[in-house]
Amino acid sequence: MSDPAVLTAYHYLYAGALIIVGLLLLVCLIRTIRGPLTADRIISVNMTGTLTVIIIAILTYTMDEAYLTDVAMIYTMLSFLAVVLLTKIYVGIYRGKHQKKAKEDGANA
Amino acid sequence: MLEWIRFAASAVLTLLGLFVLITGVLGTFRFRQALNRIHAAALLDTVGILCMFGGLIVALGFTLTSLKLLIVVLFLWLTSPVSSHLIGELVVVSHDGLAREINIDDPEAVQQLKEGHK
Repeated sequence: MSDPAVLTAYHYLYAGALIIVGLLLLVCLIRTIRGPLTADRIISVNMTGTLTVIIIAILTYTMDEAYLTDVAMIYTMLSFLAVVLLTKIYVGIYRGKHQKKAKEDGANA
Repeated sequence: MLEWIRFAASAVLTLLGLFVLITGVLGTFRFRQALNRIHAAALLDTVGILCMFGGLIVALGFTLTSLKLLIVVLFLWLTSPVSSHLIGELVVVSHDGLAREINIDDPEAVQQLKEGHK
């Protein structure tokens, strides 16, 4: 990598990519707050995790630190684990509500 | 000269990836049904991260770091369908107005999902 013109070209390309992905993160936050269902919020949590992994991977190139790829791997696994755990918890909560309502309907009718 | 070709390939892949990311995030705002929004969000996990990481792998060359980035992409490809399926199940269980939005073929199965299998 000897040519400094190529290095500045890469710098501008990835700086622009980082700005755009950062703005997309803010837009995802709006989706998290607005979403009418719980599932919408979990979808946007998943999207936020993926966008963060993309930012970490771009930073491994621009900052020239190789260990950030390991951080990206761990963060992907953590985000997947978070989605699985959240869906299991909320499916359990809603099923409990449905079962209680079915029991009350069975007792009333 | 080779460096400029590598930069051109990396730039094309990165710009394509940014376009797919913007489309995916915009799609979650524009769709009106929850089950369609899952599909728009899955765009990011599959094509978006492939193009962005592909641009980085081309820029980095044939090193250990690019192999690790490839492992991240493969892991995300394996786990993204599981996440989408579980979120879809949550939508069916929790959304009370589902019968208004879509045609349910098998209301018995939907009721069994809502109550939990005995």
